Amino acid sequence: MKTMFHEYKNLKLKIMSKKTMLTILAVAAISFTAMSQKLVTSKSNIKFHSHTAAEDIDANNTKAVGTIDTKTGEVVYSVPMQAFEFEKALMQKHYNSPKFLDTKQFPKAKLTGKITNLSKVYFSKDGAYNVTVKGEMDMHGVKNPIEEQAIITVKDGKVSVTTKFKIVLADYKVAFEKGKPSTNIAKEVEVTVNAEYITKS
Amino acid sequence: MNTTTKKRLKITALLALTGIIIAAGVIIYLFNMPHRNVQAASADYSINAEEIVNEYLTDALIANEKYLDAEGESKILAVNGIVHEITEDYNGDKVVLLKSDKMQAGVSCTFTPETNPQAANLIVGDHITIKGVIRSGASYDEDLEMYEHVIMEKSSIQ
Repeated sequence: MKTMFHEYKNLKLKIMSKKTMLTILAVAAISFTAMSQKLVTSKSNIKFHSHTAAEDIDANNTKAVGTIDTKTGEVVYSVPMQAFEFEKALMQKHYNSPKFLDTKQFPKAKLTGKITNLSKVYFSKDGAYNVTVKGEMDMHGVKNPIEEQAIITVKDGKVSVTTKFKIVLADYKVAFEKGKPSTNIAKEVEVTVNAEYITKS
Repeated sequence: MNTTTKKRLKITALLALTGIIIAAGVIIYLFNMPHRNVQAASADYSINAEEIVNEYLTDALIANEKYLDAEGESKILAVNGIVHEITEDYNGDKVVLLKSDKMQAGVSCTFTPETNPQAANLIVGDHITIKGVIRSGASYDEDLEMYEHVIMEKSSIQ
């Protein structure tokens, strides 16, 4: 085995230049470190809050799945829409119905984006990093560009994200002209996301 | 006012009052309508974890048509499978993933504060049947670059 290795090594040195070998080693090193660059959500909560003079409505969803690519800054969130829980059962039914979010036809909402100031984030160093995520939100069959702020916190090696932003329902063709919903649901709803991440195995 | 008119007015008033009481009752019921009791309901389908994952990976549109409900009261499934992973979600509720090694995606079952104790003694490798309501199906997501599991909530052990 050892002699074979020496023979091979000699042959290799003869054939390849030092430069080529270094390039090969560099590529190998990069692809090796690239193997564990993705973070995946282990626990998250998405809260949707609507405030009107008539009433406040809150809904929570703990079933979203998300990833952050620490090398490219790509952020993805996939949200199962039927997992939003409302306090009032009737409200939950209205929310899911074809007249509103039509969750049977559009069972998932997705956010795909990129951290624009990735160079300011150190995923292996404890700290709180303000980031801007620019990308697209796909909900109710409509895609819209988004650009929002978030805070990435690294503590004891664990990464978590918090963000709060607004969604204008009409932008996603979630409109309602007559009846109770129009007075009881805000045109703009506030979305709060809290997510904890682990390294993807 | 003669007695006939008086009588008519009395009847009309009584009818109107009854109508108002019924309407009020309906409104109060709707406003406080109880959430669906998944634990008390019987399963719409008894299925193997592998079967439902394959159904979704083969044709998600057909599977969603079959399992999801327009108002969110989607099908209640009794899924049997092998415990692959036990974790907790943001609320501290137990999440049990039913998946065998050869499956690309599994069935992720979230318990409730009431049913969490049932999952306390589960270990990886157990063969069990979990009943819950389906929220979304399995698929490969190109952006996440991973398979998403079938998601069930309001789970309990059968």
